[in-house]
Amino acid sequence: MKTNQYLLLFSGPDWTTGLAPQEVQEMMDRTHAWFDRLFGEGKAKGAQPLEKTGRTISIKNGMIADGPFVESKESIGGYLLLEVADEEEAVAIARQNPMLTAGLNIEVRPVADICPSVRAALEKTALATA
Amino acid sequence: MNSPSESSEYLLLFRGTDWHNGLSPDEIQRTMTDWMAWFDRLVADGRCLGGQSLATEGKVVSGKSLHVSDGPFAESKETVAGYFILKVADLDEALDIAKQCPALAYGMTVEARPLLARCAASQRVLDQLAQTTN
Amino acid sequence: MPQLTEHLFRHEAGKLVSALTGIFGMARLQLAEDVVQEAMIRALQTWPYHGVPANPAAWLMQTAKNRALDLIRREKSFHEKQPEILASLERPAGETTEAHFDTEIADDRLRLIFACCHPLISLEDQTALALKTLCGFSPAEIANAFLTSEAAVNKRLTRARQKIRDLAIPFEIPAGDELTTRLDGVLQTLYLLFNEGYKASSGDRLIREDLCEEAIRLTRLLAEHPSADFPHTHALLALMLLNAARLSGRTDAGGNILRLKDQDRSTWNPSLIGLGLMHLGRAAKGDTLTEYHLQAGIAACHATAADDATTDWPRILIHYDQWMKINDSPVIALNRAVAIAKIHGPAVGIEAISKIRQKKSLESYYLVHAVLGEFEARLGHFQIAVTHLQKALSLADQRSEQIFLERQLRGLTGL
Repeated sequence: MKTNQYLLLFSGPDWTTGLAPQEVQEMMDRTHAWFDRLFGEGKAKGAQPLEKTGRTISIKNGMIADGPFVESKESIGGYLLLEVADEEEAVAIARQNPMLTAGLNIEVRPVADICPSVRAALEKTALATA
Repeated sequence: MNSPSESSEYLLLFRGTDWHNGLSPDEIQRTMTDWMAWFDRLVADGRCLGGQSLATEGKVVSGKSLHVSDGPFAESKETVAGYFILKVADLDEALDIAKQCPALAYGMTVEARPLLARCAASQRVLDQLAQTTN
Repeated sequence: MPQLTEHLFRHEAGKLVSALTGIFGMARLQLAEDVVQEAMIRALQTWPYHGVPANPAAWLMQTAKNRALDLIRREKSFHEKQPEILASLERPAGETTEAHFDTEIADDRLRLIFACCHPLISLEDQTALALKTLCGFSPAEIANAFLTSEAAVNKRLTRARQKIRDLAIPFEIPAGDELTTRLDGVLQTLYLLFNEGYKASSGDRLIREDLCEEAIRLTRLLAEHPSADFPHTHALLALMLLNAARLSGRTDAGGNILRLKDQDRSTWNPSLIGLGLMHLGRAAKGDTLTEYHLQAGIAACHATAADDATTDWPRILIHYDQWMKINDSPVIALNRAVAIAKIHGPAVGIEAISKIRQKKSLESYYLVHAVLGEFEARLGHFQIAVTHLQKALSLADQRSEQIFLERQLRGLTGL
C-alpha cells in the first residue's frame, strides 16, 4: 500500500501546570502507550523531544545574527515522523494523543515528496523512449 | 567534552515559507544547488542523519475539543519549512552548520535545538523489534 | 547525478511560460507565470533530498502542468467551459528530449514574442514583459538591469498584462502583411534591448551582458523559425552576435572603456564572430538593404580585422555611405567622419564633420566634441583640442566616458 510521510510537530504550554503528581504520571503513561503503539505498528519512524534551550540563526542587516531561542507557547517541544496512508490517517492519529486535553498543539505536515504523479508520468515516458 | 547527559543530536528547524517569494529562476537554481551540496556534504561527513522539506499545507490539531483546522502555513516567517537532524559535538557546531544555510540571505531563519535521547518508550520498542528480527 | 547547466531554470522558465500560455490562453499569462514559479520552488524543496531528476526540464514541465491541473479542477466554471485545456494538460509528457520539446514549443515561444512586443504596449513595458515571461528574469533582476526600482518594473508588468487583457491581444503568429509590420516592431524592440545591454544608457556599469544574451536568444528564435526567417532578421542577429563577440574587450581591468584601437582583440569570441558572419551571409540573400545589414557589415569589418591599422576602413566607409542614403542622421554622419579620418587623416575628418547636415543638433552630444578634440590633437592644435575635450567632458553623462575624457585631457595638459 502506498504510504506518505507526515511530520507531527508538538507545541504548547507546560502541560503539567495545575496537575497533581498522579495525574502527571497517568498522562505520561498514556502518552507513552500512544507512542509505543505507533512504533509497534510500524507507523512511527522516529520521535524525539526537544530540549527547552537552543539558539536561532538569521541574517540581520546583512550579517549573520546568532540570537537566543526564546521559549514560548509556540515553541516546538517534540516531533514524530509518521508513515501512513494519507493525511486523514495522520490527523486521526494526532487526535488520539492524550496530551491534547492538557493544551497540546499538534501540527500535521506532509513531507514534500517529489510528487508521485510526476514520478509516474516520467517513468511512463522513460519506458516509452527506452 | 560531552558529559553523558548531554545530547549530541540536534534539530535544525528551518523557519519561513515566504523567503522564496520573488526569487528569480536563476536564484532558485543557485540556492537549490547550494543547499544540495550543503546537505550532501553533511550526510557524507556523518554529521547529518537526515532532513526533509515540509509541504506548506497541513493541519493543526488542538485543545480539549480536538479541533482540527487548516494550517495557515503560507506566507509566514515562523512556519517550519523543513528540518535537519544533526549528530555533532555540541550546540556551537550545530550553529556553525546552521550558519551555512543558503537561504539565510533571503530571510529564512534557522533554529537549533538539542534533541533529548530518544524517548524511553520508543527505545524500548525499537530494542524489542531488534531482538525479534535477529 | 545530472549536472544542471548554468541558467537552466531561467531558460526553462521562458520555455515553460510559453507552453503553458499556449494551453491557458493569453489572458491568463499571469497564471502560467505563477505555476512555473511554483514548479521551481517545488524543485528547490525536493531535489536536495530526492536528487536531481534524470530529466530536469521534463520534471519542471510535468510539475507545472500538475499544479495547473490542480488549479483548474478547483475552478468549476473553467472546467466546464474548457475541456480541451484539461485534455492538453492531462496528456502525458510526450518524448522528453530537449530538442523535441524545443521544436514543439517553438511556435508557442514565437506567439509569446509577438504578444509581448505588440505595438500597442509601450516599449518599456514590452521589454519588461519579454524579459519576465520569455527570458525568465525576476522583476528584481530586470530592475537591476535597467537601473530602476522593482516597484517600477512591477508597474510596467501589470500595465502590459492589463493591456493584453483589455485589447484581447491574441496568442498567434501573424501572417501576411501584418506579419511584416509586426515583425519590424519586434525586431526594433529586440534591437533596443540589445543596445540597452551593450551601451548602458546610464550609470557606471557599462556592459549588461545578460541583456545582450537575451536579445540574441530571442532574435535567434525568430531567425530559426520559418515564419520570421527573413534576411533582415538574420541581419539583426548578425549585428548582435558581432557586437557581443567583442564585449569582453571593451573595458580594461578597472572597468574603464577602451577605444576600439586599444582593445585586446584576443579577448574577442571567435565562435560568436563565426556565427555572426554566417548569419550575415544569410542576410545577404534578400534584395533589400536595411540599417541592420549595414551595421552588421560594419561590425563584421571590425570583428575580422587583426587590428585597427589593418581594418578595411574603405569598406566601412562604403557601408556608412549606403547607410546615409537610408538614414542621414547626424550621428551616423559623425561616425562616417571618423571612418573618413582613418583613411584620409584628421584634417579631412574635421572637414567632414563641418559638412554634417543638421550638425547643430549634435552640439549637445559629447561625442562630436570628443572626436573633434582627438582630431585637433593629432594635428598638433593642442589649445583647440583642449577646448573641445573640455566641452565634451561637460556634456558626457556616463562615468566611464568622463574618466576616458579626463585621461585624454591629462595627456594633453599634463595635469
